[in-house]
Amino acid sequence: MELDALISTSGKLETLNEARFDEYGRCIPVSLKAQVHNESRRYFSVVQPKVDYSEIYQRFDKYLAIGGQISLGDFKQRAEAIMAFLGNLSGYENITQGVGVPFILPKSEKMDIGQAFEGTYLRGVQQSFDAMFPAHSFTSHCQSSLDGILNITPGSRHESVINAIQKDVVVGYYFPCLLEYSKPAAIEQLATLSDNFLLAGGFDTAAAIIGSPDLLLRKDGYPPLLWLSGLEGGGEKIGYHFEAYGYDLTFNRRVHFDQAAEYWASGLVVLG
Amino acid sequence: MITTVEMQSDGMLTAGELAKRDNLRSRRPYVAKKLANILAMEERGEISPIIRLEKSYLCNFQCTHCSAEYYMDRHLEKVLHVKEERKKIDMDGIRDLSRQADELGLARFVITGGEPLVMRDLDEVVAAIDPEKHYVIVDSNGWFLDDEKARHLKSIGVEKIQLSLDSLIEEEHDNFRNKPGSYKRVMRAIDATLDAGLNLLLSTVLIKGQPKTQAFLDLCKFTTDKGVGLYVSYAKPTGSCTDYPEFVIDKEDADILRDLEKKYLVFTHMTPSYGSFKGCITVKGIITVTSTGEITPCPYIDFSLGNLHENSLKEILDRGMKNPWLGAHRPDCLIGEDKKFIKIHTEKTAGATHLPLPWGEGFSDNDSLLD
Repeated sequence: MELDALISTSGKLETLNEARFDEYGRCIPVSLKAQVHNESRRYFSVVQPKVDYSEIYQRFDKYLAIGGQISLGDFKQRAEAIMAFLGNLSGYENITQGVGVPFILPKSEKMDIGQAFEGTYLRGVQQSFDAMFPAHSFTSHCQSSLDGILNITPGSRHESVINAIQKDVVVGYYFPCLLEYSKPAAIEQLATLSDNFLLAGGFDTAAAIIGSPDLLLRKDGYPPLLWLSGLEGGGEKIGYHFEAYGYDLTFNRRVHFDQAAEYWASGLVVLG
Repeated sequence: MITTVEMQSDGMLTAGELAKRDNLRSRRPYVAKKLANILAMEERGEISPIIRLEKSYLCNFQCTHCSAEYYMDRHLEKVLHVKEERKKIDMDGIRDLSRQADELGLARFVITGGEPLVMRDLDEVVAAIDPEKHYVIVDSNGWFLDDEKARHLKSIGVEKIQLSLDSLIEEEHDNFRNKPGSYKRVMRAIDATLDAGLNLLLSTVLIKGQPKTQAFLDLCKFTTDKGVGLYVSYAKPTGSCTDYPEFVIDKEDADILRDLEKKYLVFTHMTPSYGSFKGCITVKGIITVTSTGEITPCPYIDFSLGNLHENSLKEILDRGMKNPWLGAHRPDCLIGEDKKFIKIHTEKTAGATHLPLPWGEGFSDNDSLLD
């Protein structure tokens, strides 16, 4: 393991023998000032979707037009390398015991985040969800355009995702593991994690759902709401999120007031 | 997008809803302005719960699933052999509650019970709430709601009637309500309400497995064809329903109902409405004031957040919003679906004679989602 991978943005060396994720893959909160539930009863939880790289790749090919930018073989190899890396990263191994799904982000040199999210990624979610669940529906409840609205949340490291896709096609893994964290707590916690971890925003969260449209489908219980915590905009304390509604999927905005809720979660991504 | 009585699938208000709002604005501009402000309040992090007022528990029915049965004098005296000796909320208390609610921007009262139409002082209660300040709704089983009564309710400032209808099969409805003839009376009440120009909502109690039945679909179709919303309340393991745990729905029932919202004018308290996506509405969207001035976070949770004789409404609401079970956003029904909370509620209320349990005995500042 490279030393760089063990040093957080605060410059603090990680304690290697301290587990950063619990046995279910939830990121264990350190002593945070922001609101977080230190323990979870796991009432709202995501069920691991089947990870079939071929099927997932086909969805990206159909709904995000990644054709030609990466082969199925390269996607699978790079995604599996991420999981192998994390499985060997001291203190971080348990993240691989939780829920995680691979994704691809096509190269995009210049973009407005809101415009690209709405025009490309939300449309991709719609198409992928409709294809897997023709009897159900994906709906965006946002009434106004996101053009020019969305920016990177300071401290989220999400600029690494945006910078990466401006250079090349990106492969990553999405982990909805910041269960019951407020948005500030997610950022505060991130600063204590290896630099490999980035707070998920719009493209990566949407891509996770495009590849695995059943990510938030639960018939025997409720999945959490997934914030796009790597992004902000549209008003103070406003956040954007994906959320199940029965067997349907929705996208919406709401005020979060820096609060934690048992139902709320953010995601981490690792690029490879 | 879910289609509701007031909103089309594209998120725009229906023509009928726009007409209703214009009508209210012309008659009661202050109330209309407050109602229009609710979304802005939510954006500021303020809450605007509907206040259910249980001034009296007198009732001419004895329904199988009644959430208020254990509050009724007939239950206290005949079953538990105790008396209700706690201080009751009076007209001055209701006027003060109306004032406090108005100062907080709250805009809606539901007079419930019991059966409000057997209350001798119903007109006085409506006046104490003040229809010029608040949108007044009356719950009813419909038994006494004929044309004359409906016109009278309209004349004293009531805006909306919520009638209970459990089935379009007469025998089923009457059996569930334990009242022969109740189906015919509620059908009469539906027409009387609409003819009097009152807004109407039909409400029904949903038990496990029911969303899959043709009888339930027929009920959804009937109300939709009438252009009237059907408010579906899950059977909760409280009140009379404590004896029928098999009535409690499961996730599949809730999800089937969510699907039906796309086809029919049917909704639950968790259904997004008026562009608001609250989920479980405990405190955020509803509170109940009992006859003894206790405030509970929902009609089916028998734990008090405080008493209006001792605390201000604002203090009680703040207390509720800080409670880990109640304040946070959640998509499911706390007392209808969360087995851990149901267990806590069942254990704490078991053997209690006087409900709700006061603040500190049910809910408290020490509450935790964990053991």
